[in-house]
Amino acid sequence: MSSRIPARWDLEVDVVAVGSGLGSITAALAAHDGGKRVVILDKAPRLGGLCAYGGGEVFVPNSRYMAKIGKQDSDEAARRYFAFLSGGFNEPGLTEKLLATYREAVEYTADQAGVRWEAVDGLDDYYYPDAPGSATGRYLAVEPFDGSQLGDWQSKTWASSPHFPPATHKEMYAWGGLANITKWDYELLGQRVAEDQRTFGPGMMGYFVKAAVVDRKIEAHVGTAVRELITDDDGRVVGVRAEKDGKDFFVRGASGVVLGVGGYDHNKKMAMMHEEAHDWNSATQPYFHGDHLVMGAEIGADTASVPTYNLAMFYGYNIPGEEHDGAPIFRSSWECGCPHAIWVNEAGERFTDESFYKDYQPRVRQWNGRTQTQDNVPPFLIFDTNYRERYPLGSFMPGMDIPEELAVKADTPRELAEKLGIDADGFEKTLARFNEGARDGRDPEFDAGHFSWSNRLAGDPSYPNPNVGVVEKPPFYGVKLSPVGVGINSHGLRTNADAQVLHVRGHAIPGLYAVGISAALLDLGNGYQSGTSNMRAITWGYVAGRHLGGR
Amino acid sequence: MAEVQHTATSTQPIESIWEFVKEIDNWAPMVTGYQEHEKQNENDSTWVLKGDLGSVTRTLKFKVHVTEWAGPERVTFELEGINELMTGKGVFSMSGAGDGDGDGLSEITPPARPGFFARLRDAIVRFFVYKVMGRHESRPPEDRQTSAEPGAVRSELRFSLEISPGGPMGPMINAMVKPALVVAAEDLARDIVARVEAEA
Repeated sequence: MSSRIPARWDLEVDVVAVGSGLGSITAALAAHDGGKRVVILDKAPRLGGLCAYGGGEVFVPNSRYMAKIGKQDSDEAARRYFAFLSGGFNEPGLTEKLLATYREAVEYTADQAGVRWEAVDGLDDYYYPDAPGSATGRYLAVEPFDGSQLGDWQSKTWASSPHFPPATHKEMYAWGGLANITKWDYELLGQRVAEDQRTFGPGMMGYFVKAAVVDRKIEAHVGTAVRELITDDDGRVVGVRAEKDGKDFFVRGASGVVLGVGGYDHNKKMAMMHEEAHDWNSATQPYFHGDHLVMGAEIGADTASVPTYNLAMFYGYNIPGEEHDGAPIFRSSWECGCPHAIWVNEAGERFTDESFYKDYQPRVRQWNGRTQTQDNVPPFLIFDTNYRERYPLGSFMPGMDIPEELAVKADTPRELAEKLGIDADGFEKTLARFNEGARDGRDPEFDAGHFSWSNRLAGDPSYPNPNVGVVEKPPFYGVKLSPVGVGINSHGLRTNADAQVLHVRGHAIPGLYAVGISAALLDLGNGYQSGTSNMRAITWGYVAGRHLGGR
Repeated sequence: MAEVQHTATSTQPIESIWEFVKEIDNWAPMVTGYQEHEKQNENDSTWVLKGDLGSVTRTLKFKVHVTEWAGPERVTFELEGINELMTGKGVFSMSGAGDGDGDGLSEITPPARPGFFARLRDAIVRFFVYKVMGRHESRPPEDRQTSAEPGAVRSELRFSLEISPGGPMGPMINAMVKPALVVAAEDLARDIVARVEAEA
């Protein structure tokens, strides 16, 4: 039963923040600054949550940081841009609150929590620069964070992400993006590792964790999995039952509980049901199992979804033997954005601009009602020796052998197709057609190279078309890809404009809040892009924390 | 290049240490992250280990070639990565008490030994401190331990290892592997001595 109030609480505070990503920690900070006693509980062995593995971009239109680099923006332009992104799948009231609050929330983190933001100069709205209300300079990232400021927590935070070396955004773009990752300044990056200078997601979360557990001395427990919400006779959430060191650990939150436990990337059943993809894998830490949905369901919480085909889902692979905390870690495949690489389906046909994940997501989910199959699943990454001479595959640098369990290798396209189990005739025709355009840097079929995101992040800017190059130099390689989530899920708890979780009967559940990915993305609708998830996590965490503090 | 070194002392004579070390199968499972090894001949073997690199665990396959069996004083070997761009070399040095270049070994009391991950965290912090404080040393700091009672030390085993990650990311990987190597070297030297002591 979820209404079981224990005879004795192990810990009594005002606010229990469950999870330690951006949303939870911002809520903890705001509640603390509102005079509340707060505790942070996280089932992972380190603080920082999902965000600590990410890119650490925060999308903030019309910020003071834009003004510092001489960029113009307006709230009205931002409103038009978010309306474009939403595709009409948002709840206007939530979007309005988000837009009215995000700047205040981010400035709070800078002014009161010491987060050192800076605008990424020269970075446009690199998803849709031609969209209504688009502008340059809206992306914020943090200055490098010195991990030694965390004191005893230094080794109990996510110091590095397996997906991003400790460069800054400015450096990454200046050094040629991910395609040119072998040309980055690794003497500098090695020095950063040695000195625990953190950037990207680990750097961003370093600032937030420091603000909470070092500066404010907010109590935090890692390795503490919250299993159950505890309600009183009136249905108010008054605490949680967690498991710590194999025992129940009852924590009272007199004012309320904030759920910021991410999504369900490591729950294959939920992922299949909600994300329309089989064999879901994840690039995230193995601690996101949909706990918020289970605990919410037990007390009648409502849930909601946004369309699946426009979130941050990629396709990728696991390098054999690569794990984190005992679970396989999957890498999103950026390779498909490089020249000399394409995707094909089992018919040997291209079906998308594979350099832009927003283009391929709806196409991999496309259902063939005549055959009861998703015809573009699985996609196969195909590349040639032109590629291998220039770019890595995951951790396999040019010149290294790639293990056969990861990549199939063949001397001819036909042999490669046969080894991969794809239609050889179709594949040969596809290559001939693609190469004809690629010689001129064109992709007449799918217009690869059109999007700024693909050009900047995944493409090679030294090419006339950063995302297109012929695939013709033997030997050829093929990798069967799997869905790889990055923790941005389509289904979450339904919340109101105060970040309170709604009951299926429509009223707010007193004492229960959801933030970050645990809250359904109805504020954005169909409008995910890099940085919006972090922005909304900060915003709704700020809203929840202030509401808990009576403001 | 990441370079680590650890010395452990024993109440047993140098010959006993040598008898144990000269047979790879004896101590292979004591190597941190050990998965398997296969001997091709007296000098050559292939190894599979699991090791932490930043926040991920990687499976490392590499070849070992023994370049010198100079018992009972020394075994030297070279490493070459199979699935990682990496080379390295190492030495097991055995000496009688007072023969090595250490001093005061017998006056050190053996501390309690916490778990691997706790010590890895300590090593990471130590490593940060050395770097941040600018205390770069020509040789890594040794963490001498002894399992012997004062005055009972008869031999010491020193394990030295140098790893040079290759490829463009080498300098960064080098910084990432160093803390784990410190702990791994400590474990291996101490565990070998402990086993020799136990079997005496």
